[in-house]
Amino acid sequence: MKTFFKGLLVLMFLGLLAFSQAPVETANYKCLIQLTNYEGEGAYVVVSILDAQGKYIETLYVQGDDSEWYRDIEEWWKNLYGIRRPDIDAIVGETVTGGQRKMAVLRIPVNKIDSGYKIRFESAVEDQEYYADDVEFDLTAENLKTKTEGKGFIRYVRMLPQQ
Amino acid sequence: MTLSIWRYCHLTLALVSGLFLVLASLTGIILAFEPMQSALKPYQPEQLSKISLAETIGALRQEYDEVLTLKVDANDFVVANVVNKTGQGEYIYVHPRTGKRLGAPKSQHPIFQFTTNLHRSLFLKGIGRFFVGLVSFLLCLIAITGLILIIKRQGGLTKLFSKVQKDYFELRYHVIFGRWFLVPISIVAATGVYLSAEKFSLLPSSKIVHKPVEPDTEVDLSVLPQDLVLFKNITLDKVRSVTFPFSEFPEDYFELALRDKELFVHQYNGEILSEQYYPFTFLASQLSLKLHTGQGTMLWSIVLLLVSVALLFFIYSGFVMWRKRLRNSKMVVAQTDKDECTHIILVGSETGSTYAFAHALKKGLTQAGIAAFVSQINDYTTYAKAEQLIFLTATYGEGEAPSNARHIKTLLQSHTQKVPVQYSVVGFGSLTYQGYCQFAIDLERLLACIPNMEGSLPLYKINNQSFGAFMDWAKLWARATNTPMQIPPLEKKVKKAKTQPFKVLEKTGLNVDDTYMLHLKPKKKVKFQSGDLWEFVPEEGDRPRWYSVAKYQDKLVLSIKKHELGAVSQFLNRVDAGEYVQGGIKRNVDFHFPKSAPALVCIANGTGIAPFLGMIDENTKKIPIDLYWGGRTMESFSIYKAYIDNAIETKKMSTMNIALSQENNTKEYVQQLLQRDREQLAQKLENASVFMICGSIAMQRGVLEALEEITTDLLEKPLSEFEHREQLKMDCY
Repeated sequence: MKTFFKGLLVLMFLGLLAFSQAPVETANYKCLIQLTNYEGEGAYVVVSILDAQGKYIETLYVQGDDSEWYRDIEEWWKNLYGIRRPDIDAIVGETVTGGQRKMAVLRIPVNKIDSGYKIRFESAVEDQEYYADDVEFDLTAENLKTKTEGKGFIRYVRMLPQQ
Repeated sequence: MTLSIWRYCHLTLALVSGLFLVLASLTGIILAFEPMQSALKPYQPEQLSKISLAETIGALRQEYDEVLTLKVDANDFVVANVVNKTGQGEYIYVHPRTGKRLGAPKSQHPIFQFTTNLHRSLFLKGIGRFFVGLVSFLLCLIAITGLILIIKRQGGLTKLFSKVQKDYFELRYHVIFGRWFLVPISIVAATGVYLSAEKFSLLPSSKIVHKPVEPDTEVDLSVLPQDLVLFKNITLDKVRSVTFPFSEFPEDYFELALRDKELFVHQYNGEILSEQYYPFTFLASQLSLKLHTGQGTMLWSIVLLLVSVALLFFIYSGFVMWRKRLRNSKMVVAQTDKDECTHIILVGSETGSTYAFAHALKKGLTQAGIAAFVSQINDYTTYAKAEQLIFLTATYGEGEAPSNARHIKTLLQSHTQKVPVQYSVVGFGSLTYQGYCQFAIDLERLLACIPNMEGSLPLYKINNQSFGAFMDWAKLWARATNTPMQIPPLEKKVKKAKTQPFKVLEKTGLNVDDTYMLHLKPKKKVKFQSGDLWEFVPEEGDRPRWYSVAKYQDKLVLSIKKHELGAVSQFLNRVDAGEYVQGGIKRNVDFHFPKSAPALVCIANGTGIAPFLGMIDENTKKIPIDLYWGGRTMESFSIYKAYIDNAIETKKMSTMNIALSQENNTKEYVQQLLQRDREQLAQKLENASVFMICGSIAMQRGVLEALEEITTDLLEKPLSEFEHREQLKMDCY
């Protein structure tokens, strides 16, 4: 009986916590990921927000749903996904292969823009290289309207606020 | 020589890849359900070939804030990546005409995800994929060697689908299913190899590379994409995917992936900025994926499911065959010294089934106090005390030696027996094959030329491993060599028929031949037909006896000969009308009245006439039936006379031909009657008439010889050809 009450209390507390967290305002950004003409399987791409110290804050988008390969996206796995499994809304099943492009809509929290945060695109291909900072730039309103060249499997990333 | 290489390859490959194949088949069975399940989803409300791309684009743009991509998946469902009116990004199935949301794609069910991984890479990522690809490749080789073996076995490519020789279940169905599944298995294996090879970049690139494009920027920006003529002319079934322009600037363009090519299209004037056709490797890869996974087609998924199940069966049956062959050759090892034995049994067998006969014979000889030695023909050597050599040999394919009898010719020359010996050759084969017992024939010819050797009995051919025929040979051989020997009945597990009471309606007295007729009626309704067997088990645990039945005016009619020592025939002789006896019906579909025969020739001796009495009664279409019957005296025929007279009167049969062996001074047998009517019978064979033979094994042998002579003399064709066309039906004991 005692444990039951305890459980109930914990549940109520958790419920309170859920309500007290105000929904974070987000803005939609269209994002185009153009891959280079590499040979091989489709690329896994993970888009995350990092703070100024390079600490993972949030994952916005994961391309590729075969979790067997997530371990290959080392930094992200070591610092985020491997430790706690956050619920990520935007996991897209299909990967795209060399030369192809992928469009997505990223929901970026407004309070993270122009506040010293960074956005990072990591990429990896089965049995090939892994690029921790294939594309990385400061999360500023200005940068979110431009095209950024990549260093690895990503040729460039184009961002555009969605009307 | 070549044969054993193929067999060896087939076996080795199977043993090497067996475990992986079991895993692949089991997972394959599960995975086959995935495409079936998704094909059943209701996301394809209309035929895509009737909807233009422009219409769908228009509807989507109307329905949503923003459209990023559109895809037509393997099931012909349209999936779009959109931003809806509330600003939420969504990946959903849409109605191709209205753009309305139909549902969301579910991610692969964990079971399928798990199974796919296991099937594709055994959870070992790259290494696993390599292994699976390799096993797939081995499966291709297994299929090829299997095809070669079947061709050899059936005696040529053209006979691939001809009747398969009767043998034990696993072997028979390994062959039967083998030829049906050869093609689908090859497809699954080859596509598996292709998909793996692709993963390891072993194939030329399947990618399209577009050159950078410079879209015209001086255009009318008010044109909507749904108004572009190009899009109006493309129907949705031609589309793989569409990537919408990233922004509204004219520099951004549509990317269209169609069935055969990719296009970059100007978003305002519809100009084709770049056009690249898919290379062959891309299309091959898509096709491989489709064929290997069954995506999008229910029917093919079912085929894939069957393939997976069949593979398991092949592994099982192949394993049984391998063990059997191994055991059969091992049994030979543990026995007395070859130089101590007077009777040497030499076996030539491809599958090992002939060994059963050899061991039965050995048992019989041992019981008679004779030292017998069993060995394979290839181990032929000198035998110090040998008196009798008995060759039991099958034939492989079209007259070739079985693999363990291949060296006999050289062995006979290099090993001369010190003492004179007698030999007898028993050929095992199937009448469906052109080279029926051909190797046994060749072997006998070979033996006839060897000094110090003398034949005890001419070659005896046995069709379809008939044990009855083997007993008959043993009797003849025992008589010819003065050996007091009897072969014990074959210990074979026979499925017992379901028994039920049969009421005795009538029983005649014994005629001069101690033969009587028994009319029975099943208490409960049971399906039977003339030619089926009535099974009777005299006592619990006893060997069942079978009698060929006639269905005569809905009664079950048997003709039974009372044997001096036959407990069963005596027991049945004592029953009276009104009593009940327990019995069962054993279906014998190979000996039923043929459905579409222009005419029938029935040949019987003694009580073998029984099923024909019924068949003639069933002849409602009144096709010509000629009956040939061999008996002892005219008096022997009297108990059948009423049936025959009635049939001739009602025109249900044409002629009755009787050969009597004891009536006159001239002994006449049924085969002599056949020779008398040879022209007429040859014509009947040509006209697709069916010949049915029922009676003793000895009569069957005589009849088959006569028929063979008739076909070779008059038609210049072997009898096997007619057997092949199922014009020959036999039920002899």
